[in-house]
Amino acid sequence: MDVGISLIVMIAITQKETGIRLAAVLLNAANGRCSRMPEPGPELTASAAVAHNAAAIRLDDSAITMTMSDGSPTETGMPAGKPLKVSVAQVLIYELRVRDAMTRPPVTAGPGDSLRTIQHLMKSHRISGMPILQDGVPVGLVSIEDIINALDQGHVNEPAARWMTRNLVTLRDHFSLVRAVAEFDRHGFGRFPVLNSAGELVGVITRGDITSCLMQHLEKRAEEVAAREAAQTTGQANDSELAEPVVLRAEVKAGDYDSAGKVSQRMRQILRMRGVDPDIQRRAAIVAYEAETNIIIHSIGGDLSVAVTPGKVVIEATDRGPGIENIELAMQEGWSTAGPLARELGFGAGMGLPNIRKCSDKFEIKSEMGAGTRLYSEVLLHKAVQPPQEARS
Amino acid sequence: MATVKAEPLTNEAEADLTGCYISDLLSDVLAHASPGMLWVTIQIHRNVISCALTKDIGTVLFTCGRKPDPAVVAEADAEGIVLLTTKQTTYEAAGKLWEAGLR
Repeated sequence: MDVGISLIVMIAITQKETGIRLAAVLLNAANGRCSRMPEPGPELTASAAVAHNAAAIRLDDSAITMTMSDGSPTETGMPAGKPLKVSVAQVLIYELRVRDAMTRPPVTAGPGDSLRTIQHLMKSHRISGMPILQDGVPVGLVSIEDIINALDQGHVNEPAARWMTRNLVTLRDHFSLVRAVAEFDRHGFGRFPVLNSAGELVGVITRGDITSCLMQHLEKRAEEVAAREAAQTTGQANDSELAEPVVLRAEVKAGDYDSAGKVSQRMRQILRMRGVDPDIQRRAAIVAYEAETNIIIHSIGGDLSVAVTPGKVVIEATDRGPGIENIELAMQEGWSTAGPLARELGFGAGMGLPNIRKCSDKFEIKSEMGAGTRLYSEVLLHKAVQPPQEARS
Repeated sequence: MATVKAEPLTNEAEADLTGCYISDLLSDVLAHASPGMLWVTIQIHRNVISCALTKDIGTVLFTCGRKPDPAVVAEADAEGIVLLTTKQTTYEAAGKLWEAGLR
């Protein structure tokens, strides 16, 4: 699979719990229905940012839409069938990165290599284009079109440097696939060299690579769903194999502002892999992050524990003191006892505990002066948000 | 067209925005910002990245010419967060962003 194919991936996902029978992911990159990103200017301007904003909204509405089996895309790119936003595909297309889909290591040639040599390399590797490297830096690209022209015009034995495409457009390996699809659409190229954050060439990505990667991941999800259904129908309704309980624990040191957030980010990854609703992921992350920074700012040290089970996340933060003198006051928005350093860093807004309570489905806090504070929070993974009462007095 | 003259600090310098939130208090951002927004702040330490990640904020604009440590920029690069800095004050930048239509 390489150039020229429209990025239409179809896969049947049977998911009885949600009633979604068939899902088609339409990535109308090749046929021009996908929204076009604006050309980047020499400097980032607010107008560009706004234009991107509009593009993103359109991209979200038209390009990534799940349709029912009879849904066919209309001229506007919106499916004729009943559009359904399905988290599986959204999670995939937004979370898979260029580095997950690209071909690596890239096959490359030097500027001195003849187009004939490059043609043979393309043939043996079954690829249709390759970056030209000079001293490890990509300086151009030779595509199958360049080779065909060379054969036609009789310069196939000349060096690549003379005929290669020099205005190279590259992608970064951390770009999302949504972004990559938009770039293919914008430039109309068949492939992009991929650079890492250090600017080194690490791979090449084609539309075909994106399609294969999405197919693989969707297939994997479909198999997981099928396995779960099979387990349920045989009376072994059991999510544990798909979602083993995981417990993350970390010691939290007083004043260690630089380490904050590590546990909550790891928890986020786990929740993401399990396909938990992004809003619920964020609520759990806010609870864990605020609980951790509370220990860092206010206590003499403690522990943070996060237990992820199939049904909920349990976050427990325990410290060794000094304890909260007046919990009622501490629960009020705007009340803070944070010191000057914490405040300078942007902590101490007096919103930590209220934020935790708002984001929790169950929340308890106990504190004893001289002994310490224990905070307990549960975030349910399959339930709608039911925000507790506002803490404002 | 109003523009905010901003200098990208990360390798990535383009982002899709859903709106904008301005605050220097991290908990306030956690409570009130929405995913995909541009976050404008003068805070430049590591927790800005943690906070942005927690809230799925992909773009942060530092004002008053503030620039974070290279380690913070490297972390943003690794996480795919776009960092920008402008010499304008938060007030000026906000005005320009609003004028340009980022609402």
